[in-house]
Amino acid sequence: MPTPYPPPRDMPPKSILKNKNKNATVSANAPPGRKPANPRHLAVARHHASVLEDRKRVEGEVLEAVMTLMDFPTSPDADAKRPSPADAHLFQKAVIPFQPADYDALIEERNIADKCGYALCSRPKKKARSTARKQFVDTDHGVEIVDRKVLEVWCSDDCAKRALYVKVQLSEEPAWLRQGGYHDKIELLVENEEEHGQALPLRLKQEGATKADGEDEDEDADMNAAWAAHNDALTDLALERGDKPGQLSKANNDLIQDHITERASSNAPPQAPSLPAQTSDHTMAIEGHVPRINRKDEGDDDDAQDWDKHLPG
Amino acid sequence: MDGEKYSASLIRLWRVWRTTKEMMNDRGYMIVEDDMSMSLDEFSRRYAREDGEPDRSRLNFSCQPSEEMLAKYTDAPSKKNPNPTPNIGTIWVEFNADENVGMKQLREYMAHLVHGSFHSGIMVTVKPMTGMAIRLLRGATSITDGPKGGVEVFVEQDLLVNITKHELVPKHVLLSDEEKQQLLVRYRLKQTQLPRIQSTDPVAKYLGLRRGSVVKIIRKSETAGRYASYRWVI
Repeated sequence: MPTPYPPPRDMPPKSILKNKNKNATVSANAPPGRKPANPRHLAVARHHASVLEDRKRVEGEVLEAVMTLMDFPTSPDADAKRPSPADAHLFQKAVIPFQPADYDALIEERNIADKCGYALCSRPKKKARSTARKQFVDTDHGVEIVDRKVLEVWCSDDCAKRALYVKVQLSEEPAWLRQGGYHDKIELLVENEEEHGQALPLRLKQEGATKADGEDEDEDADMNAAWAAHNDALTDLALERGDKPGQLSKANNDLIQDHITERASSNAPPQAPSLPAQTSDHTMAIEGHVPRINRKDEGDDDDAQDWDKHLPG
Repeated sequence: MDGEKYSASLIRLWRVWRTTKEMMNDRGYMIVEDDMSMSLDEFSRRYAREDGEPDRSRLNFSCQPSEEMLAKYTDAPSKKNPNPTPNIGTIWVEFNADENVGMKQLREYMAHLVHGSFHSGIMVTVKPMTGMAIRLLRGATSITDGPKGGVEVFVEQDLLVNITKHELVPKHVLLSDEEKQQLLVRYRLKQTQLPRIQSTDPVAKYLGLRRGSVVKIIRKSETAGRYASYRWVI
């Protein structure tokens, strides 16, 4: 039976299967004729990729920092109380991206390497009296039973204090989420603070340079001048922010001081505030303004024409 | 009784060691048959100290990949690289005796691998590593000072029993690069269209599967007898 619409002779019958050479490239990266990506989607994808990238970079930084701080301090006879400026500066810079948990990890790593947990201390960690898992410790409020691990973290209580002083300053927020980068300064508990002028650009320039004895005094003078300028700038800044002298500064992120200044109380009975003395001619003043009608010292003659002056023309 | 004659830690380590040997054999390394079926008696004679505790430093071993494994880990020849070299080599297995393993031990171990020109390494630790060390390990393949094939770390507890011998664990077979290409052509797939398996999956860890490879999983089926599925390691 002939079909009602026979296909034309010159055209081959059209296959209902998909085009073969299209499927031949199985692992092609992009099928041909693909729509160009929506720029908005592309931007979102880029944004997330860069966030992830940033996070990876920060994590790598932390890892590097832990690796270097594990072998700290650089000289074997370094003292935790008076660290060398170079070490202290490096330490301060390295812990900035840390979270407290990262800092704990650093302490753990140092303990495994048999060092005191404080990165600027060169002594080995303290050994507990026995190898028992739990230990008795005498404290102010009787005997306590603690893990041996807790005892074998620091070389001394002093180091523990110094290390924890750094830990409480670390930000809980992961470094890749911190707004505007992360450049808060970490303070160290050191006894030779005058040697650590890291906040001053002046010091940075000269750090590491060997200095002759004669230059020493010059440098000290420069340092003092720089510190004075620094303090002046800070006071100006505080005034600009509206801080009052003696108050806790608004920009202050220092720890709360532990010494309390008590104000001396006077026994005089409180005085009711008095109004500023009013002269008799200003009795009609309304919040300091004396309406014209009540003014005695001015002539009334031109007042009558006042309304006229403001008229146009 | 065996339990009284040998210390608990020795028995524990004997099982760990046997599983490790079986694992290396399943991966395709050449292992002496006797090692995998060594009795506790024999093990204690060879690796116990006088006080009955195991001596971990004597347990370390290295092994060579078999011909079959070398072929499996060789990429299919391409235009760019007509004579590909296998991505596998001698492996060094170390039983670490330290109570706590941190970055220090891991770095020493990696240095040892590089120094001894091993391709990859497996460290078996008593307790889990510290978090920082795990982080270092994750980035170790990109770090230049690590060995080429990377480092794997197992905790002794995870190797006490051989998980692949459990009746509910199906058989996993790694496909070579060539087999993978055939599979993709046969089913007209991109590799991203395959079902996936994480590289942290216990069996994937056991077989040391790497990201991007494809594993064939053969299950028993009531209706079909056997049923094979393929998973892409991510």
